[in-house]
Amino acid sequence: MIDTTAIRKNLKLLIDNDPWIVVDFQFVKPGKGQAFTRTKLKNMISGNTMERTYKSGEKLEEARIDENEMVFLYQQGKNYTFMDNTTYEQVELTEDHVGDAKNFLVENMNVEVLFFDGRPISVEVQNFVNLQIVETEPATKGDTVSGATKPATLSTGHTVNVPLFVNNEEWIVIDTRDGSYVERVKK
Amino acid sequence: MSGQPSPRTMFPGDFAATLRLRHSIIQEIRRFFDTSGYAEVETPLRVPCPCIDIFVDAFPAGASLFLSTSPEFHMKRLLRLNLDRIYQIGRAFRAEEGGRHHSAEFTMLEWYRTGTDYLGIMEETEQLVRRLAEALGPRCTGFSFPFGRMTVAELYGKHAGWDPVTGWNEDRYFRDWADKIEPALAGLGAFFLMDFPAPLAALSRIKQGDPLVCERFELFMNGLEIGNAYSELLDYDEHVRRFEHAAAARRAMGRQPYPADIGFLDSIRLGLPPCGGMAVGVDRLIMALLGLDHINLVQAFPAERL
Repeated sequence: MIDTTAIRKNLKLLIDNDPWIVVDFQFVKPGKGQAFTRTKLKNMISGNTMERTYKSGEKLEEARIDENEMVFLYQQGKNYTFMDNTTYEQVELTEDHVGDAKNFLVENMNVEVLFFDGRPISVEVQNFVNLQIVETEPATKGDTVSGATKPATLSTGHTVNVPLFVNNEEWIVIDTRDGSYVERVKK
Repeated sequence: MSGQPSPRTMFPGDFAATLRLRHSIIQEIRRFFDTSGYAEVETPLRVPCPCIDIFVDAFPAGASLFLSTSPEFHMKRLLRLNLDRIYQIGRAFRAEEGGRHHSAEFTMLEWYRTGTDYLGIMEETEQLVRRLAEALGPRCTGFSFPFGRMTVAELYGKHAGWDPVTGWNEDRYFRDWADKIEPALAGLGAFFLMDFPAPLAALSRIKQGDPLVCERFELFMNGLEIGNAYSELLDYDEHVRRFEHAAAARRAMGRQPYPADIGFLDSIRLGLPPCGGMAVGVDRLIMALLGLDHINLVQAFPAERL
């Protein structure tokens, strides 16, 4: 058991036998009053969100989530298949469970697959991944300072805003935490 | 040395400008009081009794001493001298969890004036904030003057659907504060929340003609609790009762009870002139004035940059 001082973003809690992840929290304490931590939680299986307020010192149970490094093999319809590199065991996750990670998955990418009670429930990709642009307007030469951007479609189907000087078919670094463009991949 | 800079060395963007504004705000606070007949005083940071508040935890500071959570007791003792207007800008310490609006060490402005009550202090508080806003000019978040005034009964009636004054329930009060009231505060601009339920009187006096509320107010600015004020309690026996009640309540919660402040109580027994006083969290006041939403953005060395 842990208590409210352990609450932080991405903490995984076991509530009514389900794993919930803390997506946001706020410590609330009137100057002369009781302290609470207000949390916004997301169910790691259903994706539902809820708000829950904990009194300071209240005990919480951490959800035991096992992380397993796996490689993404392929996607078929709404199913995504991953393989354990040492046991060659394969697991299949639905699009709902893969969540936003689907925007960044390319074949043979190493990811963390999260298991709860032996069931795969979600996928975590690295904070920064390299992806190739498959469609964007031709680059505008010389414009490196204005901050103007244009949309670019990546090989995964995800669309990001990139600076005007970036070209079609270039590889770029994406921050998977917010899906944003970071820089061109250095050659 | 090479590699990534340590997070301790990383200040927010344009932090020098923020620190200059912080300096000019504090300078203007001093000017406000210095030109209104106030004397700036200094009181100890290590004290025998840190507070009477049940929910405030103090840091131990050596044999039978604590780090001050507010200069209240010692400043009131000075009112027995021929000092009718005193203020102090100093450090206060509270052993609480950190957060967007909380830091264990912070800067507190506190002032006391004899011959007035919480309504007089309320007007003075508004004058102070108005002066600071004018001095900042366009750098200040817009606030409309005069500030609104709302009672706790009105606030809870509107946002929580019940009246804690007539139907006091401590657990429900604070849980609703966290769930319903605090999220609503940001939309209320700058206003004075006044007439707290009597069980939350701390060291304020019970309102004349209405024993269910006390003469206490708090200032809120865009969701931030900025400060707290009282018509100061003067009655000796009532002080003793409240210290005893606070110690019992802390024991019941399994927290260390604080000893009663003997020097303070002796001063009360000898008699304090009628007075009002206000405590302001200076870091939060600066946050509100500049429209910044994290205390780390106005404190140079919060916990993560120590």
